Amino acid sequence: MKTIQLTVNGVQCSITCPPAKTLLDVLREDLGLTASKECCGKGECGSCSVLINNEAACSCLVLAGQAEGQDIITCEGVGLTPNLDVIQESFVEEGATQCGYCTPGIIVSAKAFLNGINHIPTTDEIKTALGGNLCRCTGYTKIIKAVQSAAAKNNSKKETITG
Amino acid sequence: MLVSEIDMITPSSLSECLAFLAQTNKKHKLLAGGTDATVRMKEGNWRPEVWVNIKNLKELRYIEEKEGCIHIGPLTTHTDIVRSPLLQKKADVLVEASREVGATQMQNMGTIGGNIGTASPAGDTIPALYVLGAILEISSLDTKRLVPIEQFFTGPGRTVLRVNEMITNILIQPQVPNEIGIFQKLGPRKAQSISIVNVAISLRMIEGRHCQGGKIAFGAVGPTIIRAKKCESLLSQGPLTEDLIQNIAKIAWKEVMPITDVRATATYRRDMASALLERGLYRLIRRWENR
Repeated sequence: MKTIQLTVNGVQCSITCPPAKTLLDVLREDLGLTASKECCGKGECGSCSVLINNEAACSCLVLAGQAEGQDIITCEGVGLTPNLDVIQESFVEEGATQCGYCTPGIIVSAKAFLNGINHIPTTDEIKTALGGNLCRCTGYTKIIKAVQSAAAKNNSKKETITG
Repeated sequence: MLVSEIDMITPSSLSECLAFLAQTNKKHKLLAGGTDATVRMKEGNWRPEVWVNIKNLKELRYIEEKEGCIHIGPLTTHTDIVRSPLLQKKADVLVEASREVGATQMQNMGTIGGNIGTASPAGDTIPALYVLGAILEISSLDTKRLVPIEQFFTGPGRTVLRVNEMITNILIQPQVPNEIGIFQKLGPRKAQSISIVNVAISLRMIEGRHCQGGKIAFGAVGPTIIRAKKCESLLSQGPLTEDLIQNIAKIAWKEVMPITDVRATATYRRDMASALLERGLYRLIRRWENR
């Protein structure tokens, strides 16, 4: 057992667990943050995606000991029902979810992607950025539309501030 | 050994890490991005007594040009490589290869040193490093040696690395202005795939379609990466016309040594090795003519 200090969704946490336990299990079992899901456990599906120092990563492949001192943001940290993020609002508006298992991972990946750009992305750009997130219910049309409309909202907000 | 029994140490500097590797008598393994190592741990194949977590050794994460050589730290991520203006300009083939590794999450986590150390015959960055003539600096606490990448691999998952050693630097020759490179990959789908066949090509062009020479390296079609030396020797035999390109591609069929596995049959891999080389050469020539 080791005691690990990390920041999750802006809150400093101290967790005692085996160092080879995955970050995903720490988030779900020790911290009760169950938005991130385990699906393939191999880094192929992206449903466990979280932001580590603002970059999307698969929490099922990061070991707890490696998360020491890192800044982690999960889907809960992107936004919760009373204060949804623009991306989450767009997913609701476009109906870009079906069973919902992949959605938290996609929200997190989309958040990282939109943080890094200042324009409305093309379909191809979104496909590349979200290539590591699989949805097996339905197509990606609405997901792509939701990311585009979130980008449009972000842009108009920025214009209001700068204009 | 259960996963819950595996210990982890996180050295705070390279010298502390090398000192640990030198004195430990525990079964240990280095852990960088974890995109491969963690999966192997979960599958039960890798259960060291202790993980040596080097992921956050910042001193091993850099891309810089010094004395006519590009130095890449082994903990540089694929995302770092894709975003590097220096590599985009002087090692285009490596940038293209890193862009093909997994998808965003894998590129953010995975490191170039990890890709080399894992020694998968299908590792995407390795053929690119072959054509760029990469040299690996391998260090232990009290020794340092330089190993050309072509002498580093001894088989699938096997390298010349000793238990107390680690890769501490990757040196590549920057491309000169008339040198162009391309990386082509065939996977079951566009994103997030393991190569069925991949090829890295680097050509030194002279005038028009005349080529001074070049290097061609295939991945996933042999126990380690294969340099297609017969194909290479034809590159300078005349202008790279359609006929010559097709001939070179035909010869690639015999140069590769693939096996049949879950991803593809050996014959399919041979056919695709030819096709990828042909396509890659056409695309390179087109890029050269359009610049």
